Amino acid sequence: MLTLRPEEDEKLRKLLTELNRESKSKIVLLIDKSGQLISRSESPAFSSDDITFASLTAGNVAASEALSKLLGDKNLNHMFTETEEEGIYMILIDGKYILVSIFNKSVSNLGIVRVKIKKYYKKLVDLLRQIESRIEEESSIAEQLNVEDIDLDTLFE
Amino acid sequence: MPFINFATKEINCKIVYYGPGLSGKTTNIKWIYDHIKPENKGEMITLATETERTLFFDFVPIEVSNVKGFKVRFHLYTTPGQIIYQASRKLILKGVDGVVFVADSQEERHDANLDTLDDMLDNLKEYDIDINELPLVFQYNKRDLPNILPVEVLRRDLNRWNRPDFEAVATKGIGVLETFKEITRQVLKKLKK
Repeated sequence: MLTLRPEEDEKLRKLLTELNRESKSKIVLLIDKSGQLISRSESPAFSSDDITFASLTAGNVAASEALSKLLGDKNLNHMFTETEEEGIYMILIDGKYILVSIFNKSVSNLGIVRVKIKKYYKKLVDLLRQIESRIEEESSIAEQLNVEDIDLDTLFE
Repeated sequence: MPFINFATKEINCKIVYYGPGLSGKTTNIKWIYDHIKPENKGEMITLATETERTLFFDFVPIEVSNVKGFKVRFHLYTTPGQIIYQASRKLILKGVDGVVFVADSQEERHDANLDTLDDMLDNLKEYDIDINELPLVFQYNKRDLPNILPVEVLRRDLNRWNRPDFEAVATKGIGVLETFKEITRQVLKKLKK
């Protein structure tokens, strides 16, 4: 199970926000390979549904990874998708996470985004590994959760 | 794999609807999507062919706010049921927290039910997921059709782990909510462990 403590959430967000600013992206997202959004840069102007975006990105990366395996390559490292106005750059982190930069092509470009990701890559990997080892040391989080009062009936019209 | 953020007080879980082609997986999550309050749902994504057969997956995010504590977000996925999409089905199971197996009750589709269950077991094994530990619900769909097998037969052949199961007519919403509630209950219960 992946858990984020408030201080870790803040560190991740700060790092992604710095990367977002330096790379002149619209937003930078960190997603796990099963499709969950872990963190994102502070990008108030980004109005698309980030949860759905995360799920589709993970599907996209998973399909491309399977394709590269079919072709005999062991690993997929990164991919790039282009729309008329935007570039979407996705890079795998530690084989478990996906870092995504969405940028406007008239504001930034793939070269800048890749250089800036390279600059922050190690910091991000170190932070994620710290989080993973903290999770391993923790025995149980059950007592910190309060999910018993959930009433699903109120969900429906 | 659930993802819990203690800063934003969010819990994210992944639920996959698995089953043979045309058994009603998309119909299940479409019904849920159509009947849920707008403030509790995100955008539904359907990656389907022109004839509305699921090509890769459908996706619906559902948010449940709990006044006392956390906001729980269930990510509902369906798999493409057709045999040829075996590779895609495996990808969607990655990180799964709970499975709803939607079986087609019609006699002539029973072999497809059995094949798909085998396919699911193989895929879970490849991800090192122990089915005995996995939240799992069976749904016997299309109970309104004439040529259906008795529930006892479906239960004996498919529900080998004695998990909760439900009869359903997903096109009319019968059994859909019960199935959804049961899988979410199991997923949350496992989280507490």
